[in-house]
Amino acid sequence: MAKLITAARQTKQEKEPALKGTLASVFLLGFFVIFSWVSVYFLFLHRL
Amino acid sequence: MAQPLEKVDRRDAKLALAHLFVAFAALALGGFAGLLQTLVRSGKFELPAGISYYTILTTHGVLLGLVLTTFFIIGFQFAAVSRTTGALSDGSRRLGWIGFWMMTSGTACTAFFILTGQASVLYTFYAPLQAHAGFYIGLALVVVGSWVSGFAMFAHYARWRKTHRGQVSPLLAFMSVTNMVLWLVCSLGVAATVVFQLIPWSLGLTDRVNVLLSRTLFWYFGHPLVYFWLLPAYMVWYAVIPKVIGGKMFSDSLARLAFILFLLFSIPVGFHHQLLEPGISPFWKYVQVVLTFMVIIPSLMTAFAMFATFESYGRSQGATGLFGWLRKLPWSDARFFAPFVGMLFFIPAGTGGIINASHQLNQVVHNTIWVTGHFHLTVATTVVLTFFGASYWLIPHLTGRVMTKAMNRLAIIQTIVWAVGMTFMSGSMHFAGLLGAPRRSAFSTYSNSPQALEWIPYQIAQAVGGTILFIGIILILVIVINLAFFAPKGETEFPVAEAAAPYERAALALENWKLWIGLVVALILIAYTVPIIDIIQNAPPGSKGYKLW
Repeated sequence: MAKLITAARQTKQEKEPALKGTLASVFLLGFFVIFSWVSVYFLFLHRL
Repeated sequence: MAQPLEKVDRRDAKLALAHLFVAFAALALGGFAGLLQTLVRSGKFELPAGISYYTILTTHGVLLGLVLTTFFIIGFQFAAVSRTTGALSDGSRRLGWIGFWMMTSGTACTAFFILTGQASVLYTFYAPLQAHAGFYIGLALVVVGSWVSGFAMFAHYARWRKTHRGQVSPLLAFMSVTNMVLWLVCSLGVAATVVFQLIPWSLGLTDRVNVLLSRTLFWYFGHPLVYFWLLPAYMVWYAVIPKVIGGKMFSDSLARLAFILFLLFSIPVGFHHQLLEPGISPFWKYVQVVLTFMVIIPSLMTAFAMFATFESYGRSQGATGLFGWLRKLPWSDARFFAPFVGMLFFIPAGTGGIINASHQLNQVVHNTIWVTGHFHLTVATTVVLTFFGASYWLIPHLTGRVMTKAMNRLAIIQTIVWAVGMTFMSGSMHFAGLLGAPRRSAFSTYSNSPQALEWIPYQIAQAVGGTILFIGIILILVIVINLAFFAPKGETEFPVAEAAAPYERAALALENWKLWIGLVVALILIAYTVPIIDIIQNAPPGSKGYKLW
C-alpha cells in the first residue's frame, strides 16, 4: 500500500512541470515594473 | 509516410496575401516618412519644396498606426481562421474581398488628401484641427470595410460552431473572433465622431464642433485600438511560437481567459489618455484608471505563460539550473527570434504604460515625447517584430514557397538592426520626454531656451535610431519581396501549437458571447454614460475649424 502511494506521488510529481525559472523571471519582471514606477513617482514628487 | 501539411485554402490565401501586400506597401511609405521626421527633429535637415513636417508626421502615423496594422491583422486573421476552421464559404470570402476593397479605396482617399497637404491633422486628427472632408470619408471607409471583414469572420465561425456543436473552437479562431468583437465595439466610437461630427463640420454643414466629445469618442476607440494591435501578436505568442520552438502551449484555457479579460477591460478606459483634460470629472477619470489597471492582469498572465512555455520546453530538452532553459531555445530561427525580441521589448513598454496611466505620473510625461517613445516600443517593436516573425512562415505558406537559410539569416540581422535602432530612438525619446520635450512638434530651440537646448542631443540620437530603423525597413521589404515572389517553391508549415495537457478542454463558457458582450456593454455604460451626458449637456459653444499648416 505504502509503495502504491509513493508511486502515485512520484507520478504526480512527474506531471508537475518544474517552473522555478518562470517564478524567478516573473519576479524580475515585477521588480523592474516597480522600480521604474517608483523612479518616475519620485521625479513627480521632486517637481511638485 | 509523412502527413500532408494542413494548408490555408488557395482562394483564402489570395485574400490574406492581398491584405499583407497593402500592409507592407504602407510600411515602405510610412517608414520613409518616419525617417524624414527624425532627421527634421535633429535640427540638421530641412524638408525640400516647402513640405510641412506635419504632413509627413500625419503620413507616418496614419500609414503605420492605422493602415499597416489593420491590413496585416485582418489578412493574418483570415489565414488563421481558414487554417483552423476550414476554407471560408464563398459568401464569407466575397465579404472579405468587399471589405478589402473598401479599406483599400478608403486608404487611397485618405492618403491622397494627406500627401497633397490638405489633411495635416496627425493620426489622432484632434478637433479643432480640420482636415479636408475626403480625409475623414476615407477613414470612415477603412473602418466600415474592416467591419465587413469582421462579419465575414463571424459568419465563418458561426458556421463552424453550428456543425461542431458542443466542441470548443480552435484557439486561433476563438482569438480572431475575440479581437474582431473588440474592434467592432471600439470602432463605433471613432465612426460616431467621424460621421456625426467631423464630416458635417468639414463639409461646412455645421459651424462648430464639440471638441471634448470628439476627443472622448476618439479615445474610447484609441486605447482598445492598441489591444487590437496587440492581440494578434499574442495569438502568435500563445498559439504559434510553442510549435515553432518544438514545444507545447502552457495552457489553452489560460490563453482564452486572458483574451476575454482583454476584451472586457481594454475598452472602458479611454479617459487615461485624457487625464489632464478639463471638463471630465476626476471621479470618472479615477474609475477608468482602475479599469485600466485591470488590464495588467491578463498582460502578466501572458508573461507567465510565455516564460512557462519556454522553460517547459527547455527542461524537456534536458536543461538544468535556474535559467538553463534559455540556452535550449532556437535562437537561430527567425520565426522565433523576432517575436522573442518583441516580447522582451514589451517589458519596458508595458511598464511605461502603467506609468502613463497613473494620474500623478501622467503629469510628468503627458504630451511629451516619452509617450511617442512608449508606443514605439508597444506597437512599433513588440507588435511589429511579431508580425515580421509571423511573415517568415505566413507569406511562404500562402505563396507556396520556402524561406532559404540566407533569408533566415537576413531576418535575424533585421531583428537585431530593429532592436538597436529602436533602443536608440525610443530610449532617447523616453529620456527627452522626462526632460519635458514635447511630442507632435517640429524642431525648434524655443528662442534658445536652456531647457529646449538640453533636448537636442536626444533628438540627434533619435535621428541615429530612426536611420538604423529605416535600414531595418529596407531589410524586411527585401525579405518579404523574396518570400512572396522569388523564394524557392515548396511547402511551408503554418504552425499551430497544441496544449501541453492533452486532456485539457477549455470551458465552453469562455465562448458564451452573449455573456461576454453583455458584460462589455455594461462596463462601457458604467464608465461612459454619466460623463458623456455631462460633456454634451455642459458643453461650451464649440469650436470653429482651424487649418494651421
